[in-house]
Parts: sequence; structure tokens; C-alpha cells
Amino acid sequence: MFFKALIVGLIAIFGRLDSRMLGRLNFERPLITCTLVGLFLGDLTTGLAVGASMEMVSLGFMSIGASGFDMNMGSIVGCALVIMTGADINNALAIATPMTLLSTLIETGAAVLRISMTHMIDNCVEQGQFQKAKTIDIVWGPTLYAICYFVPVFLAVYFGKDLIDAINNVIPTFVVDGISLGANLVAFFGFAMLLSVMINKKNAIYFFLGFAIAAYSGLSLTAISIIAVILAVLFYQFRYDGVSQLQVAGAPVDELDELDDDLD
Amino acid sequence: MSKKGLEVQRNYPLNKKVKEFFWGGWCMQTNWNYERQMNTAFMWGISKTLDRLYPDPADIEKKKERYRAALEFFNITPQCGAFVLGLTAAMEEEYVENPDTFNPEMITNVKTALMGPLSGIGDSLFQGTVRIIAMSIGISLAQQGSILGPILAMLISFAVSFPITWFGGKLGYLKGQEIIQQISKTNLMDKVMYGCSVAGLIVVGGMCAGLVNITTPIVYNETLVVQDILNSIMPQLLPLCLTGIMYYLVKKGAHPIVIVIACFILGIILNYFGILAV
Repeated sequence: MFFKALIVGLIAIFGRLDSRMLGRLNFERPLITCTLVGLFLGDLTTGLAVGASMEMVSLGFMSIGASGFDMNMGSIVGCALVIMTGADINNALAIATPMTLLSTLIETGAAVLRISMTHMIDNCVEQGQFQKAKTIDIVWGPTLYAICYFVPVFLAVYFGKDLIDAINNVIPTFVVDGISLGANLVAFFGFAMLLSVMINKKNAIYFFLGFAIAAYSGLSLTAISIIAVILAVLFYQFRYDGVSQLQVAGAPVDELDELDDDLD
Repeated sequence: MSKKGLEVQRNYPLNKKVKEFFWGGWCMQTNWNYERQMNTAFMWGISKTLDRLYPDPADIEKKKERYRAALEFFNITPQCGAFVLGLTAAMEEEYVENPDTFNPEMITNVKTALMGPLSGIGDSLFQGTVRIIAMSIGISLAQQGSILGPILAMLISFAVSFPITWFGGKLGYLKGQEIIQQISKTNLMDKVMYGCSVAGLIVVGGMCAGLVNITTPIVYNETLVVQDILNSIMPQLLPLCLTGIMYYLVKKGAHPIVIVIACFILGIILNYFGILAV
């Protein structure tokens, strides 16, 4: 158990540092981290299934900037506990929700610490200790982030199994099914959050375009993604290159200017 | 003030400098704080340039001044951060070269002016489009039990993020100011955001229709299947309505945790009475 909790904790650190030191390559997302958890706990199938469902649910929960609201940490714990207890995969979200609340609380505390670290860096610069200022930023900063993820994940996985087992024995089936329905409802909340930052009156039509294509054709999301990129390029060309086509008459003048420059 | 540092900086291999901007960009959130956000990470990214430019202990006050300037408020999409670091490094060189004519405040001004537009482009490209496309492909493959899903999602993210950060840093250093003028002249920001919003929104629309299948098991008098009526109006009508309701709640400013918990409670109730099903 200790070893498993340790592994999951290390995966959590990897996920956390993705946005800190890898410019956010999306390795922090549930789809990736849950797959890793599945891989290392020896149940890849469940890891993939939980990853896909957690990713779907939390796709709209973006963490732009500092804390925000994300389910990255909760998903890791949820996935690990689902694999270890053999519970239904939809329980991952039920486990992830309180963990998310906890991670938000921890993050608030860590944010205070980081402000004082910033002041320490200010002081180091004033005293000419440039190397120390750099170390605080590049070593202490990520270490703090790593600890804030590792400790709660480790503890939750280490002590969580018995708790989940105990709950599983008393919980009736209709609640389990209801949780699975609830998880799917949350997914729509995720979509709505995503929309709220992307949509406006002018571009709302593209959302309905995507919806109509998928609803009537039943194409897979991979197909929809490819179509979306093609359509984006097409619409872009209609909108912007259409204008420059009209300016073709002006082009030779530019070329002459360049010739002049070359002659100079 | 000596200009020995300028020579060191100019002779330093270009690729090594770009490498610093690159990692400076990717490590942009190592110490994100509410006071000045990514300021200390920006300082880390530019620090090696400053160290080379001011090697003389006699210039330490100047060096402190430049470090202080680097520690001012900063926020950007990490991948675009490399561009700003490159441009800042080029301007710091210029300042050492012409300390009397070059106003150092310009460095801060350019840096500050770039935050908004570059974050706008960066967030809509990386968070709004690349992430959505990578993850939607990843989810649909992972649901079929294929490990290709997460692998492809990682590859897509990396394949966009890496070159933009690397060449962003290089271009920023070599011809940053030219590029800024191009950005404002050609309206690049609007263009990129338009293209991203089209691709992103089509995929999100597709997700609402195809990713989660919510239906109603209600049947009246054993013959009237409500779901069939809904399907005859429009397939996936329930998911569309649910997205609409949730969108309204988001716009009203409902707190995420409250919604998530409410969804669970509602899920248990609606499932128990057979009103909705997955």
C-alpha cells in the first residue's frame, strides 16, 4: 500500500509540474495522469476508462493562472482508488470532488507562502544575492507545488482504500447509478464553462455548426476535430484572404520598392 | 560603465541563448503569486542574460536595477513567454550599448504592452483550441480502450507547444520589434483568435452532441416513448438543452463546487424516478 501510494504521489508531482516547468503540455490533464496511474498500478484498461470519463467531465475546468478550479489532483486520487477497490469507474468523480475542494484550500494557503517567497527574492536582489534569488524561484517554487500535491495524494491513497471499501458496502445500487448520471451532468457544466470563455454573439453559430454536424452524422470526435480545423482554415481564408485578393493591384509596387532597396 | 559584458553576450552562441528563453518560457509559472504573478519566473528567464551583460562588480547597482525591472508584474501564456524573454534580452543589450540614448523604461513598457495581446493569442490557441482538439481525440480513442488516445493527446500538445516556444524565443531575440509592428499592422491577434474560436467552438459543439449520451426513459401508457419524440425533433436535443441550462448558470456566476454537488444530488433523484438516464 505504501509503495502504491508513493507511485501515485509521484505521478501527481509529474502532473503538477507540467504546468509549472513544461509550459503546460496538457500532461496534467486527467486523461494523461489517470492512464499513468493505470499503467503503474497494473490496470491500464481501468486507467484509460477513468481518464476518459474524468477528462470529459472536467474539460471545461481550466486553470488559467494560479488556482482556478481544476480536477487534476482529484482525478489522480479517484482513479487510483477505483483501481485499488474495484469500485465502479463513475465513483472516481465522486472521490475527485472532495479532493478538488481540498486542493483549492491547500492552494490558497500555498499562495500566501508564494507571496512571501516573492518578497524574499526582492530582498535577495537588493542585497546582490542574485544566485539565491534564482534558486528560490526555480527550486523552492516547484518544490512547494510538488509538496502541495504529493502529501494530500499520498495520504488519500494510503488511507482512502479502507474508507471507500466501507462506503461501498453500505451504498445502495440506485445511488451508484445516480452518481454515474450526475457525473455526466457535470460534463455539461464543463462544456458550458468552456463555452462561456469562448463564445460571443458573433461566433456562437460555429458552436451550433459543430453540434449539428455531430448530432446528425454521428461522426467520431476525431473526425469532427479534423473537419473543425479544415473549416477554420476555410472561414479564415474567406474572411481575411478575400480582402488581400482585392489588393493584388498594389503588389507590383511593393516589388518595385524591394528592387529599389536591393539596388541601393 | 564598462561594455565588456556586451561583448560576452554578443559572442555567446545563439542556440544557447534561445535555450534559456525556451526554458524561461516553459518555467513561467514556477512561483505564480497573487502580487505580481509570473514576475520571479520572468526574472529567472532573463537572469543569465543580465549576468553576462553586467559581469563587473562595479556595475552591481546597475545590475540590481535591471533585476528589479525584471521583477515587475508579469503574466503571459508560458509558450509565448519565450518571445518576450528574447525581445527583452535584445533590448537589454541595446541599453548596455547606448546607455545615454536608450530609455530603459521602454523595456518595461514593451513587456507590459505585450502581455495582453500575446496572452490572448496564446490562451485561445493552447487552452481553447489545441487542448480541446487533443483531448477530444484522446477521449474518443481512450473510450474504445486504446492507449493511442492519451499518447496522441500528448503528441499533439507537444508538437504545437515546442516549436512555438523555441522559434518564439529565437524570433523575439533576433527581430522582436519588427514582429511587434507586424502584429499590430496586420491585425494578427484578431486573425489568430478568429481561427482558434472557429475550430474550438466546432469541436465543443461536437462534444456536446457526441461525447455524453443523456436520454430519458419516460414512457407514457406503454406506447408513447418520449425519447423517440425528442429524436424526431432533433437528435441529441436533451444534451443541447442541458448545455443551455448550464451555460445560463455559469453566466449567473454559480460556483463550480456548488454545481458539481448539485449535479450529484440531481443525478441520484432523476435516476431514481426514471426521468433521465445515461
